[in-house]
Amino acid sequence: MKRKLVAAALAAAMAVSVTACGGGSGSSDGGSAAGGSGDGGSGVSFTIFNSKSEIQDQFEELAKEYSEAKGVNVEVYMSQDTVAAHMATRYSANDPYTLSMVDAKDIYSLGPEHAIDLSDQDWVKNTNYAISIDDKVMGFPVCIEARGVMYNAEAIEAITGTEFKPEDYATTDAFKGLLEQLVAGGMETPTGVMKEDWSLAGHFLSQVYEEQEDTEAFVTALHGGTSDLANNAKWNSLMDTFDLLKQYNFAASSPVAAEREVLEQQLAEGKIAFMFGGNWDWSLIKDFEPSEKMGMMPVPQNTDDGSNGKLVGGGSKFFFIDSSDATSDEQRQAAKDFLNWLVSDPEGNAFLTERCALVPAYSNIEAAGLDPLSVSVKAYADAGNLIPNYDYLPDDHYSKCGAMFQEYLADQTDRAGLAANIEGYWQATAPVEH
Amino acid sequence: MNTNTMSYKTKQFLMFAGLTTAAFFAVVILPFIYGLYLTFTSWDGVSKSKPFVGFANYISAFADADYWQALGRTFIYAVIAVILVNVVAFLLAFLVTSGVKGQNFFRAGFFVPNLIGGIVLGYIWKFVFNRALVALGTSLSIGALSTSWLATPNGAMLCMIIVSVWQYAGYMMLIYVAGFMSVSADVLEAAMIDGCTGIQTIVHISVPLMVSSFVQCLFLTITRCFMVYDVNLSLTKGEPFGSSVMAAMHVYNQAFTYKNYGTGQAEALILFIVCAVVGVLQVYIGKKAEVSA
Repeated sequence: MKRKLVAAALAAAMAVSVTACGGGSGSSDGGSAAGGSGDGGSGVSFTIFNSKSEIQDQFEELAKEYSEAKGVNVEVYMSQDTVAAHMATRYSANDPYTLSMVDAKDIYSLGPEHAIDLSDQDWVKNTNYAISIDDKVMGFPVCIEARGVMYNAEAIEAITGTEFKPEDYATTDAFKGLLEQLVAGGMETPTGVMKEDWSLAGHFLSQVYEEQEDTEAFVTALHGGTSDLANNAKWNSLMDTFDLLKQYNFAASSPVAAEREVLEQQLAEGKIAFMFGGNWDWSLIKDFEPSEKMGMMPVPQNTDDGSNGKLVGGGSKFFFIDSSDATSDEQRQAAKDFLNWLVSDPEGNAFLTERCALVPAYSNIEAAGLDPLSVSVKAYADAGNLIPNYDYLPDDHYSKCGAMFQEYLADQTDRAGLAANIEGYWQATAPVEH
Repeated sequence: MNTNTMSYKTKQFLMFAGLTTAAFFAVVILPFIYGLYLTFTSWDGVSKSKPFVGFANYISAFADADYWQALGRTFIYAVIAVILVNVVAFLLAFLVTSGVKGQNFFRAGFFVPNLIGGIVLGYIWKFVFNRALVALGTSLSIGALSTSWLATPNGAMLCMIIVSVWQYAGYMMLIYVAGFMSVSADVLEAAMIDGCTGIQTIVHISVPLMVSSFVQCLFLTITRCFMVYDVNLSLTKGEPFGSSVMAAMHVYNQAFTYKNYGTGQAEALILFIVCAVVGVLQVYIGKKAEVSA
C-alpha cells in the first residue's frame, strides 16, 4: 500500500514537471494566436504580427471586437524571438503575415522586397514618423518612444524637500550634486544601470552617434577608421554621465548580473531615483505599484549644444503590409482599412492611446491618460525636442558593442579601452547600405 | 511462399521501416541537403534571391575568430561536463543499485531534473545563482557567494557545468543502472567467493561488463554538450560580455541575428562534423573495449 502511494505521488510529480516543461517551451519559441472566431465567416481573413509583447492581450481583445464589428476575421500572433529572426522564419516558410509590426531597421531590410507602397493612404499626412524608401511610404508608425533618464520625483523630493525640476539638472555637474545630496540624505545608491546589451549599446552608445552634428559623416568616419572616438566631445560628455550612473549603481557589486526586473522595481518603489531607459520600461514598472510622480528627462551633459534638453527617439514599431503572392489583394485591402481605422476612427485612437497607453505618432490623435513616462515623452515630442533615432546600425552592433560595454561596466576595461574596442568593431564591419 | 524474392523483401522493408524511413528522410536528410546548398549562397534569411557565392561562406567561417573561440569554449565545457556527468551518474547508479533504503524513490528523484525542459531549468538556476545564493552569501558573509557567479566569465562557465550535471546525471544514471542490473549475479557471487572486495568487484567485474553503458552515456553526453543551446540561452544568454556564447548560440546569432544565413549554416556544418567525428571515434574505441562474460 505504501509503495503504491509513493508511486502515485511520483507519477503526479512527473506529470507536473512535464506540463511545466511543455508550457515553458511553448511560450518561448512558439507563437501564440488569438483572434476572431470563424463564424464571422463571410469576410476576408488576415493575420497581424504583434512584436510589442506588453500589448498582446489588448491586441487579442481588439481582434475579436474588430472581427465582429467589421465582418472580417483577424488573427493576432506574437513571438518571443527577435523580430528579424521571426520574420526570417516566416518568409523562408513562405507564410508571411498580412500585416507585420517590426522595428525600423526591419522595414529598411524587408521593405523593398516585401512591403507594398502606402503613399496614397490618408494617415500619411498626419504623421512625421512614417518610413519611406525610395519615396514610397512603407512603414506605418505605431507609436513614439524615446530614451532618456527615468526618474522617481517622489523619492527625490522626500530627501531634498524641494520640488524636483528636471531642467535644473541638465548638466553633469548639477546632476552629480544632486546624487551626492541624495546619498547624504540616506539613499545609498541613487541610480540603476541595466546591463542588457540592447540598453548599453543599442540605446546609450547609439546616443553618441545620434547626438553628433552629422551622424552620417561620423559613422562613415568610424567605418573608415578616421574618427577619434576617445577624444570626441559627445562621447566624453555622455560617458561622464554614464560614469556617474555606474558609480552610484544599485547593483555595483556585480553590475553585469543585475536583473532588469529588480532594477525597475527599485525605481518604481523609490529605492533608487534614476535609471537610463525609455517609456517602454513602464510595462515592467507598472507591476510594482509605482509612484505617480515619475517621468523622463534628457541625459544630463556638460554641453552647450542643446542636446541635454532633448530626449532621443521617434517613431517606434512600424507596420508594413506584405506584397508577396501569399497574400491576396482582398487581404491587403483589409489590412489597409485596419490601419486607417486605427488613425481615423475614435475607437481605433482609443485603442492606441487608452488601452495600449502608446504615445500617438499622429497629429490628429489626442492622448489623455498616458502613463507618467509617456507623458514626458509626449511633452518633448510636441515641443519638437526629440533627437531622431539612427536606423542604420549594423545588425550585430548591439550585441558585439554591448559585450564591450559590459566589460566597461564590470571594470574589465577603461574608457580609452572601450573606445578602442568600439572603433575596432566599426572598422571590421561592413557599412549598412542605405 | 518464397521469402527470398526482391519484391517480398521490399514489401517487408516498406511495411516495417517504410514510414520511419520516409519521416527520417523528410525531416533530417532533406533539410540537411538543403542546408548544404544554402552554405553556398549569400542568402540573408528573408530575401527572395539566393545568390550563389561558392566557398565564400566557408572562408568567412574559417576567418570568424568569434566562432572558433566559441567552439574552443564549447570544447572545454563539453570535456569537463561530460566527465562530471558520467562520474556523478555512475556514483548515483551505484548508490541506487546497492540496496539502500528507498532506492526506487531516489531513482525517480534523481531522474526528475531531466524532465524539466532546458529553458525552464535555465531560468530556475538563474534565480538560484543570482538571488538565492547571493542572499545566502550576504547574510552568512561568505565572500565567494556574496556576488553572483554569473557575473564573471569563469563563474558563468562553472554555472553552465553545474546545471548540465544536474540535468543529465539522472538520465545517465538510468543507463548505468541498467548496466549494473545486466551484470549477472552468478559472476558477482563467484568474484565474492574468490575473495574480491567490493571495490575490486566493481573495477574488475562490473565495469568491464557494462562497457556498452559507458559507450552509450558518453555518446549521449558528448553530443548534447556540444550542441547545448537552451540552457545557454536562458541561464547566461552568452553574458557576461559574450564570454559564455557556445558554438550553437554563435551559429544562431550568425544566421538569424546578424543575418548571415549562409555563413551560419557553414558554421553549423563544421560543428556537426566536429561533433560527428568525436562521437563516432568514441563509439568505435568504446566498442573495442567491450567484453562478454
